[in-house]
Amino acid sequence: MPTLESPEVALLDRSDSAVEALPDFTSESYKDSYSRINAIVIEGEKEAHDNYMAIGTLIPEEADELKKLARMEMKHMKGFTACGKNLAVTPDMPFAKEFFSPLHNNFQEALAQGNLTTCFLIQAILIEAFAISAYNVYIRVADPFAKKITEGVVQDEYLHLNYGQEWLKANLQSCKEELIKANKVNLPIIRSMLDQVASDAAALHMDKEELMEEFMIAYQDSLNEMGLDNREIARMALAAVV
Amino acid sequence: MFGLIGHSTSFKDARIKAMELGFDHIAEGDLDVWCSAPPQLVEHVQIVSPSGKSIEGAYIDSCFVPEMLGRFKTARRKVLNAMELAQKKGINITALGGFTSIIFENFNLLQHKQIRNTTLEWERFTTGNTHTAWVICRQLEINAPSIGIDPKQAKVAVVGATGDIGSAVCRWLSKRTGVAELFLVARQKQPLLDLQKELGGGQILGLDEALASADVVVWVASMPRTLEIDSSKLRNPCLMIDGGYPKNLDGKVSGKGVHVLKGGIVEFFNDIGWSMMELAAMEKPQRQMFACFAEAMLLEFENCHTNFSWGRNNITLEKMDFIGKASVRNGFSTLNLNKVFQVAAA
Repeated sequence: MPTLESPEVALLDRSDSAVEALPDFTSESYKDSYSRINAIVIEGEKEAHDNYMAIGTLIPEEADELKKLARMEMKHMKGFTACGKNLAVTPDMPFAKEFFSPLHNNFQEALAQGNLTTCFLIQAILIEAFAISAYNVYIRVADPFAKKITEGVVQDEYLHLNYGQEWLKANLQSCKEELIKANKVNLPIIRSMLDQVASDAAALHMDKEELMEEFMIAYQDSLNEMGLDNREIARMALAAVV
Repeated sequence: MFGLIGHSTSFKDARIKAMELGFDHIAEGDLDVWCSAPPQLVEHVQIVSPSGKSIEGAYIDSCFVPEMLGRFKTARRKVLNAMELAQKKGINITALGGFTSIIFENFNLLQHKQIRNTTLEWERFTTGNTHTAWVICRQLEINAPSIGIDPKQAKVAVVGATGDIGSAVCRWLSKRTGVAELFLVARQKQPLLDLQKELGGGQILGLDEALASADVVVWVASMPRTLEIDSSKLRNPCLMIDGGYPKNLDGKVSGKGVHVLKGGIVEFFNDIGWSMMELAAMEKPQRQMFACFAEAMLLEFENCHTNFSWGRNNITLEKMDFIGKASVRNGFSTLNLNKVFQVAAA
């Protein structure tokens, strides 16, 4: 209950209107950063499409369901391509391919060895949580056209996160060890992807701190839903910090 | 189920607690890591009332620390994310503790109802201010006589009089306790004039003047760090009830006849098997807690799942009566000077 001339309290009195201003979507610096962020999003959706199709080859009984998820990712890719066109931005696809290559390679390796748990962790938990966090932050600062598209996409992504989470939950006893091992290898990659994209994201008024927090919320929720306890989650999340 | 949203009193304490709880990834991180840390549901607790009614609750640490007060967007996210977590966990009524309710009100978080895919339902949350205000008033009524001050003869200064808790305290002291004189101290003039009109009395005074004349001082404002109080100018005896947050009045005043009491603190009649009140430096952490937290428990005990304390200046005497009776009925008493806990029967 603050009153009087408290310096702590004075900080609490700040109006949020100035802090919340949207970026200038037409500026060159915005478009330059958008060319990379937009490419990452497009590439991420394409990667997701390919990964779900690939996972379907490991569990043929689920292939139809996975095809459905893959089709949704394709639809998202088209939506985000339209976002770039709308701002007259050409996405920097070579940059995005390089950006995703460590995760892409790890997924391909796990796929070749039939390590389904690792495949699910990379695609359905880490990439989906990364996408959800980025989209949730982006929605708050996007241009009206992209905002509408992203709002539709994010609802679908929660379904995808849920799909992988349900599979891992059902198989937790047999896959826990592999899950923890794969997490230790791949979570730091997510962290480094966030670091790489931080300055471009900042140009779009997306804070790195907020992106990281959103990611950790989606990631933690997902592991919690799978049946891991607080201490196990804390140990897994440690890989993002050290 | 009831919920409590709290936070550590400092970054240093927060790291120690996180380490104890096994949240090493956060404990080892710097302030930036904490700014990105999600809220944590750290403890489940079961509480049984004197009549044998059992309720369950959860403590959520928002991962906010006071060092983040200067980071406007961070502080806002911490509060909203903790509220979202409470709602996602299906908690019926959750109290916003410590700086959480202050941030909620001052940042006008009512306009942020949509958090990701969750639409916050305000009826699931309470500031707990009604119970806090009632407890502070009862603390005055019980403790002033014990140091030789008759409440009905007393001059009482309320510092932070126009706030949510302050205005409720003024209402009670003027209509129920019937104090001899009420001094209203606050920063802004117009709300003071409005309050004076509503009360039909009370004297608007500056802080120094009020302190020099008051037998009892009720602080319900956050204390500016730089504020210094000249204890020699206080009356003897003088009862000071520190109802603000954080509670730091005892470090600022001392002297003959000056009695400082932590305001808005209650004690449960039995031990509660939790560890979280150690964070708030309670003398008896197994039983003592902030009255705002206890309000969530009371609302759960009474099956009153509504945002009982919400918005500013909505605390009526009737609401204070309701929560006061529930408080006594369900085994809570007020923190008192002589450390002998008396049932705070109204």
